Amino acid sequence: MKRLGSEVVGSLFWLAVGVFFAVGGIMLKPGTLRNPGPGLLPLIMSLLLISFSLFILARGLIGPEGVLKGIQWKGQAGVVASVFLYGLLLDLLGFLLSTFTLMFVLYGLLFEGKNRWPRVFFYAAATALAGWLVFSVALKVPFPKGQLMVVGR
Amino acid sequence: MDFFADILLGFQTTFQPINLLYCFVGCLIGTLIGVLPGIGPTGAVSILLPVTFKMSPVTSIILLSGIYYGAMYGGSTTSILVNVPGEAASVVTCLDGYQMARQGRAGPALGIAAFGSYIAGTFSVIALMFLSYPLSKFALAFGPPEYTALIILGITILTYLAQKSMIKALMMAAFGFLLAYVGIDMLTGRARYTFGIPGLMDGVGILPIAMGLFGVTEVLENLAPPEKISVFKAKLGSLLPNRQDWKDSWKPITRGSLIGFLIGIIPGGNATLASFVSYATEKRCSRHPERFGHGAIEGVAGPESSNNSAFAGGLVPLFALGIPTSVATALLFAALMMHGVQPGPFLIPEHPDIFWGLVASMYLGNIMLLVINLPLIGMWVQVLRIPQQILLPLILFFCIVGAYAENNSFFDVGVMMLFGVLGYLMKKFDYEPAPLILAFVLGPILEKSMRQSLKLSGGDFGIFFSRPISVTLLGLASLVLLSNFFFKRQTGLVDEKV
Repeated sequence: MKRLGSEVVGSLFWLAVGVFFAVGGIMLKPGTLRNPGPGLLPLIMSLLLISFSLFILARGLIGPEGVLKGIQWKGQAGVVASVFLYGLLLDLLGFLLSTFTLMFVLYGLLFEGKNRWPRVFFYAAATALAGWLVFSVALKVPFPKGQLMVVGR
Repeated sequence: MDFFADILLGFQTTFQPINLLYCFVGCLIGTLIGVLPGIGPTGAVSILLPVTFKMSPVTSIILLSGIYYGAMYGGSTTSILVNVPGEAASVVTCLDGYQMARQGRAGPALGIAAFGSYIAGTFSVIALMFLSYPLSKFALAFGPPEYTALIILGITILTYLAQKSMIKALMMAAFGFLLAYVGIDMLTGRARYTFGIPGLMDGVGILPIAMGLFGVTEVLENLAPPEKISVFKAKLGSLLPNRQDWKDSWKPITRGSLIGFLIGIIPGGNATLASFVSYATEKRCSRHPERFGHGAIEGVAGPESSNNSAFAGGLVPLFALGIPTSVATALLFAALMMHGVQPGPFLIPEHPDIFWGLVASMYLGNIMLLVINLPLIGMWVQVLRIPQQILLPLILFFCIVGAYAENNSFFDVGVMMLFGVLGYLMKKFDYEPAPLILAFVLGPILEKSMRQSLKLSGGDFGIFFSRPISVTLLGLASLVLLSNFFFKRQTGLVDEKV
């Protein structure tokens, strides 16, 4: 059993999720079977989640030792962070400029080889412009105008 | 004569220019998504759901369905030419399709895949048409206990068919149900698990969850530089299968159409499973099973037909009972709900234009797909050369805009990214997203029907075991559950990934 470490870690995570929902279910009042309350189904489901997690945990603990493998996180963390940065920039810079920034970061993370940055710049600009034309102009999605842009005008 | 009037209504609906246009667009996007490895129909439908908000319900369902069955056509192209499945339901096509291409027979392989898909697609639409209406009348006999039992059976079969561990799949189903209970309780008006966050009052949306699990997760997973895709360079030759090819293929196509449709109907069944079962059946029926894996055209014709007809099969429970039984139909269910249309036994009588319009659009869509796929095959081969470095940021960008546009709030984008990261970790830890999504969509129906049943019976669980339909369904669910512990499961069939 190669994935033992991951079984233990995974099951502990789901166990915590199950306990969290179970406590919430009890606080919501499960009611009685005759008159089921808002907490009944959440409690049943979280108890199922808890029991299955314990099963996987036991299986992971009993089996031979193993290691976690294959989780890359550097690029992934960069992507996730850039999206949240985009959320902050959107209010400040408006759709066009913040989208350009996001795409610049994303293409920058992925592109390799010579002439990397000119290509990154070109693709980021093209995507931002096309996105603005399609979503903002044609489909009229109401993106924030961008506070800095308004001040600048 | 009602029947003919209904069909006429369907074609009238489909021939409205806007519906015709979106049918074509759906088929085109479907083929594109099918051809491109990485993102599959589930991801594409999740990303495009917000685009359909401003459309009529019938137009949006025509578009989204087109993506699904279009992807079944497109997926075979990548399997045959690159030996990489474009989407999960085309995995088995790699086995013999790529071998045929290596033997210089890529043309007939692509041809039989497209013709088989067309025949199966048409057959399944006819079967859908004849089955749904009578079944929806039968479904009127369904009360809350029957719905509860049906949902339990559906989830049990789906988790049984899971690729990895059934227990883990059951955990994901339980988590999906729990997520569905976030927000205001419909029966008592009490807020559940909202912690005073306004964005959670209406519950967690299906869109951020689906886009996170199927769109963002794919992006995060494919960030590492991919192996260079080498498209088969040999000449395609004639795309038309010869007489011998047809002789070898007509039985697999017929069997595949039937198998696909039936598997589509059963709860938890889907196109991927259908293609595997069809391949196994063909190998068993063949007089020369040793040819399989070495370029047997039957190994392409059967699975490619069955994955196409499975989609229409899956629409039967959706339209007749209002219960989605796979991720594909769960997303269509969500699309209908977003337009204020309640799927269920009353959908066909109350909204005949939606059902018959979809049926007619699928007839036309299958013809369009034949035209899109065969003469334009050269173009799709070019599409395969678009590098992942360009595609991935674009997919993420579409996800962000889609999640944002639903409520014009970045909160949903945050939820989507959270589920993207969760989905990425779930893949690494061998937890599958399909049961989660299906349970999330079915959660409110299960809760409502279970609470109603208990109220009806005065708190007696016996109500589920005293009515013939519900006791049969629960009996089947127990059999499936028990068989997991007593027999070795045929695993690896259901991951509706993309």
